[in-house]
Amino acid sequence: MRAIKHVAVTVVAVCVLAAGCGGGDKPIGSATSSNPQASTSTSGGGGAYKKGGTVTIANVGGQTWPCQFNPFNPAVNQVALGFVYEPLTFVNVLKAGATTPMLASAFTWSPTKDSIVFTIRSGVKWSDGKPFSADDVVYTFNLMKQQPALDLYSLWTGAGLTSVTAAGDKVTLKFKAAAEPYFFNFANQVGIVPKHIWSTGEAASKPATWANPKPVGTGAFTVQSCTSNNISYVANGSYWQPGKPYLEKVQYPAYLDNNPANLDLASGKAQWGGQYIPNIDNFYKSKSPENNYWFPPTANVAIYPNLDPSHKATSTLAVRQAIAYALDREQISKIGESGYQPAANQTGVVTPTFDKYFDKAALTAAGYDKPNPDKAKQLLESAGYSSSNPLKLDIITITGYTDWDASLAVVKQQLAAVGIELSIQDLQQQSFNQKLFTGDYDLAYYSQSGGPTPYYELRQLLYSKNSAPIGQQASSNYVRYNNPAVDKAFDAYASADDATQVKLIKEIGAAMIKDVPLIPTTESVDWYQYNTKDIEGWPTQDNPYAQPAPYNIPDVGQVLTNLYSKSAQK
Amino acid sequence: MRFLLRRLGFFVITLWAAMTLNFFIPRMMPGSPEEALRQRISKGGVVVTPEQLRTVLAEFGFDPDKNILLQYGEYLKSMVTGHWGVSIGGSLGTPVTTLIGDALPWTLGLVGLSTVLAFALGTLIGTISGWRRGGLIDGIVPPVFIVTSALPYFLVALVLISLFAMGNNPVLPNDFNYQQGLTPGFNAEFILSVIKHGILPAGTILITAVGGWILTMRNNMLTTLAEDYVRMARAKGIPNRKIMFGYAGRNAFLPNLSGFAMSLGFVISGTILVEYVFNYPGLGYMFYNATVSTDYPLLQALFLLVTLAVLICVLLCDFAVFLLDPRARTKG
Repeated sequence: MRAIKHVAVTVVAVCVLAAGCGGGDKPIGSATSSNPQASTSTSGGGGAYKKGGTVTIANVGGQTWPCQFNPFNPAVNQVALGFVYEPLTFVNVLKAGATTPMLASAFTWSPTKDSIVFTIRSGVKWSDGKPFSADDVVYTFNLMKQQPALDLYSLWTGAGLTSVTAAGDKVTLKFKAAAEPYFFNFANQVGIVPKHIWSTGEAASKPATWANPKPVGTGAFTVQSCTSNNISYVANGSYWQPGKPYLEKVQYPAYLDNNPANLDLASGKAQWGGQYIPNIDNFYKSKSPENNYWFPPTANVAIYPNLDPSHKATSTLAVRQAIAYALDREQISKIGESGYQPAANQTGVVTPTFDKYFDKAALTAAGYDKPNPDKAKQLLESAGYSSSNPLKLDIITITGYTDWDASLAVVKQQLAAVGIELSIQDLQQQSFNQKLFTGDYDLAYYSQSGGPTPYYELRQLLYSKNSAPIGQQASSNYVRYNNPAVDKAFDAYASADDATQVKLIKEIGAAMIKDVPLIPTTESVDWYQYNTKDIEGWPTQDNPYAQPAPYNIPDVGQVLTNLYSKSAQK
Repeated sequence: MRFLLRRLGFFVITLWAAMTLNFFIPRMMPGSPEEALRQRISKGGVVVTPEQLRTVLAEFGFDPDKNILLQYGEYLKSMVTGHWGVSIGGSLGTPVTTLIGDALPWTLGLVGLSTVLAFALGTLIGTISGWRRGGLIDGIVPPVFIVTSALPYFLVALVLISLFAMGNNPVLPNDFNYQQGLTPGFNAEFILSVIKHGILPAGTILITAVGGWILTMRNNMLTTLAEDYVRMARAKGIPNRKIMFGYAGRNAFLPNLSGFAMSLGFVISGTILVEYVFNYPGLGYMFYNATVSTDYPLLQALFLLVTLAVLICVLLCDFAVFLLDPRARTKG
């Protein structure tokens, strides 16, 4: 039971689906856009719907609700962002970073991409009736400067933000250097808060720890009541998008465990799930024709080899190549992940989501497009291993991640066939983290979050500044990869134009093939179930207007403004 | 009087030692609060660096770079003054007292009630089977319950779940403290729901705990029944029922009482396994969550409560012995 819960936690976020990639959608940075409805509600035919109806969310949090709605508190912003607080611009990871204007009706980058001007939408009201203005936006960003604890994405320290100023309805953000990769963070992930509330009382003196039990935002919903067992949201009557939201209420019960959440989803009592459900076709889909699921892939699950020379076997290129050639990723996906997570590839670019950046020719040329056990054996021999001197490796993984255990069992078999003896060590989460972060392992099985392009995930994994010497905690480059050429590609990305960015990602993909710093196995997905009995307007594979899981913020706000009740239309 | 003072002094020293351990043991666990937090929020695709999370946690009073002895001093002070701080785990920012206040009634209700029930039931069965030594009840009930009391909690729990809580329309719920969606209040629907959700976890505790009480009570009964005053009572023609409960049972019951006081002290720690298996949001479940998310303030407060509960019960027990046993008084 518990085991399964952890599986859902491993799931990362961000991105997907071929449908939108490379189409007519605007990529990040290509400036302005106009009408919010145009890019959002296509599923329902674009028309307005009558109001009414309730959606119930089943997403296991593992604890009861603290009833705090501070959008800067990373432990609770999941129930605040998207519901009550809104970003300037929504960035759709599933459509190659296509933007939807929210509180900013338009934006323009300077030619060098080191400053950006947002045009703030007029006519927006806070849920307490006070008007929203550019002042609120400036206040929000400056608050993060004064209180570094609020600056979750290190905009003022890491991204090089130097000033945020308002002139009329224009807000200008200036940066030290080209800052386009941070657009995803500052435009999409920062919820704008009202100055008139946050500049007085406890909110002003302790903004980071303030509980904010009655949040005032611009979002489509407001908190009606909250108990430790359930949060009720009710439609914001003065919401700025005309006619929206269509739904009257949102119920968000606190589920401690997968079991009851999955049962409620199967019975239709909850209509929107972000759950890992084992054997989902039988347990969930077969219960009702209205039960649907869709798992868009988001990032890589990979074998992390320790590249530090102190780990002799895994720092040997031939050994890593041998492992990469020996793996049959389709089989790992099918047996280990029941097919829910598709097979990954050695370039590290998640497909079909980021097909635009995927260099299939390079993959095929290197022979990584299909398993090649013979080549793996040759490589092992060249590295000095044989049946009399077999290669023995330990791989660490997290206990309770049952699907990973299953995947590793398959990996173990495949590696045994080429003469590598793999032993799997299930570690408790904390011990695993400790070993992974400080580099105390040979091989590790792990997954990290992505972003609206492969740049985000690959930069975390491979950028040398995210690494650290063995014994010290690395921030995300746990394999300790250090390649100046790859670093340079990452650095050049920020100010590059769209075509160059694609080229740079392909270069990095080529390094993944050449150096094998990481061996991707499967692609992690967003877990998402939806019931269409009464509620329609869901994001689907054909209409991926937002990341669909209820734990994806701020995407949850996009979904909530598009859902409508069928029974209310009669 | 010296006896009492010595006991009190012993109480204070034990408490201090336990509190010291409570401070250092959680900090020796692998992992750190910022890693745990990072792990949890990455689910939504939010990538935040550990350094940034450390800044966030510092706002909530978590400062691992401070001198450990200084931290220890502050910890002792805050524990004594009742300023337990705020959670730095899953409920980041929620006062620890609120969290514990929410969970405590459920644990006291579930584990407390079932411990009392197990004690009462075990004592009754033990009395009867001791009285009718070799009878039908004595032949069947004690052996059965001694076997069940040797079973681990979680095994009994899983068996009960598979018997009563499987399938699409289970007889009894296997999770949580009441039906989700109900508003807590003094109404029949809510109370019924609470009782229904309590049956399986309480049953698990009952089945595993009752055996011990039966065995000790039965054996005490046998010894007491051999006493002269029982024979005397019989000779006087006093009704059997009265001898069983008023003469033999009452005296056999005394040694059990101190054991009962001890087990009440352990109620507060919840039965972690039972609450964990049944997802019962009491202190045991909270204990587990706090450990997983390396939530030092919450862990410290929980440890303190458990320590206090056990120590106070032991102290009360000592005082009771002092009152009841003249030998303890004269020795001191």
